[in-house]
Amino acid sequence: MTTKHRLITDSFKVVKKARRGGKQEKRATPPPPQKDAESEAEKEELQKLKQFDLDWRFGPCTGISRLQRWERAKLHGLNPPEEIRDLLLKTYTDPEYNFSLWSEYPL
Amino acid sequence: GLLAGLRLLAVGVFLSSCFGTVMFSDLSVQKDGSSLLCRPASDDQGPVFERMSLTYTPCSDHFKVGERSFSRQYAHIYAARLMQMRPLLTERALQKWGSDVVIRRLCDLQIGEQCCIVGTLFKRMDLQPSILKEISEEHNLLPQPARAKYISDVDELILEDELQRIKLEGKIDRDKCVTGSVIAIYGAERNDGKFTVEDFCTADLPMQTPRPPFLSLSRFVLLASGLGLGSSRADSMLGLQLLIDMVTGQLGDQGEQSGAATISRVLLAGNLLSQNTQDKDASTKAKYLTKKTQAGSVDAIRLLDELLLQLVASVPVDVMPGQYDPTNYTLPQQPLHRCMFPLSSVHPTLLLASNPYQAAIDGVKFLGTSGQNVCDIQRYSSRDSHLEILEETLRLRHLAPTAPDTLGCYPFYQKDPFILEECPHVYFSGNAPVFESKLIKGTDGQEVLLVTVPDFNSTQTVCLVNLRTLECEPVTFSAFSTDDEESEMNISH
Repeated sequence: MTTKHRLITDSFKVVKKARRGGKQEKRATPPPPQKDAESEAEKEELQKLKQFDLDWRFGPCTGISRLQRWERAKLHGLNPPEEIRDLLLKTYTDPEYNFSLWSEYPL
Repeated sequence: GLLAGLRLLAVGVFLSSCFGTVMFSDLSVQKDGSSLLCRPASDDQGPVFERMSLTYTPCSDHFKVGERSFSRQYAHIYAARLMQMRPLLTERALQKWGSDVVIRRLCDLQIGEQCCIVGTLFKRMDLQPSILKEISEEHNLLPQPARAKYISDVDELILEDELQRIKLEGKIDRDKCVTGSVIAIYGAERNDGKFTVEDFCTADLPMQTPRPPFLSLSRFVLLASGLGLGSSRADSMLGLQLLIDMVTGQLGDQGEQSGAATISRVLLAGNLLSQNTQDKDASTKAKYLTKKTQAGSVDAIRLLDELLLQLVASVPVDVMPGQYDPTNYTLPQQPLHRCMFPLSSVHPTLLLASNPYQAAIDGVKFLGTSGQNVCDIQRYSSRDSHLEILEETLRLRHLAPTAPDTLGCYPFYQKDPFILEECPHVYFSGNAPVFESKLIKGTDGQEVLLVTVPDFNSTQTVCLVNLRTLECEPVTFSAFSTDDEESEMNISH
């Protein structure tokens, strides 16, 4: 996955609230991206972090922060990429960077 | 009053001395012409036996849970367990099947190729109680009966690695294995997609720091578990009082008292309170009906505080919580809160410890639990002997493999704290039906004493570990047996 697919909700904001439970919940739309122009660099960074999330060698990614997952991989000698850590430390206030791809979804 | 009176009538502390060099029973044997039967030598108080104090280093920090977050799933603990165990098992596999053995992940597996796979065992069990079963069959729901064993003939053994799983067959005893054990298997995949196991290995004993060389003196640590306070059996209190009197040196003559002085520490391994103190009413009855009733454990804790006070005034005591004690249910159980012991907690000799327990007593490393891990494996495998299960967990290098599957456990994510990183010298589990002990030797010169500490309430037995020789012997307290009491009653009527 190299290009980010544009979603219909990027152009048209979600008005209806997602219904509780069932299938609806599973397909809940990801949060609409910030209004202010998302720079290419930022996109690329987030893409890298998603790739990190999807790397099975570092174990499951739900329920813990990306940094916690990185540190676990480091602890067990799995050599996680250093640039991910630098990126995470730089952006530690931003929840979009801190938490995994699936963090918006209920467990 | 009552206890003192009874003690005069029927006192018997049976020390079963058997093999070995210096056992506790040899030290405290009564000398000829017991001093109890003579006139006191002089008016002064007699000799004072100094109790030997030992250095003590608690190493239970990794069993303390600081932040308590329950938002995580248990996938993390299995992932961390496999991450930690994979290098160890790879090394063992190379040792066992030669350095040219092919080690594969399940995703790279070729049909018919002889290879080795490292993974976590999972046993699919029909009889395993499952909340999902109850929900899905909600129409004519039958409660799943509690059983002594949950194994059956249709169980299936499956090995999982990070990505996949495969069914196992062949030379691996399904009924002896339990879910959660990380092992390495050797064999080949057949055409039908099952893996035929030819051999398997476990992580085996970790490395051990040698025991420090000792002086010629023997020192003992007393292990006891299952005091069972608050139970309906009132007669068990006499045995318990005898135990306390023996340890504090108020029993017997000078020989026995000097023997008691060699007991340097007491370790209580869980179930201080009886199961009876957990009243089921609180959870099933409406709140307004039980508002004014007192929890069954209140009186028992008060009694425990009084008993502990007698002990801690004389000897350091470690108190581990167990299955029925008032702390958290999930492993690792956190220490009992000191506010429950207003009398004894003012003494620095009372040490409220976690379960599992790990500490170095005079350089001898102790590791053990209150027995939940062993009982759980007993329920989910064909093994029955607590000692055998205890040894198996040491060989698997994991204190509680069945956690979190069938045993409550905190959702760790960073590390699995139940993996043994260092080999203990004394490895114990509490609340066993009988006392058993065994000294095993590892391939790298490790020496481990395995002890199953018996349930005191039912056996009236505790055990003493000699720190110098790593020998262990049981001590049984026997007062009136119930039969005696009955026959006496009959005579008087």
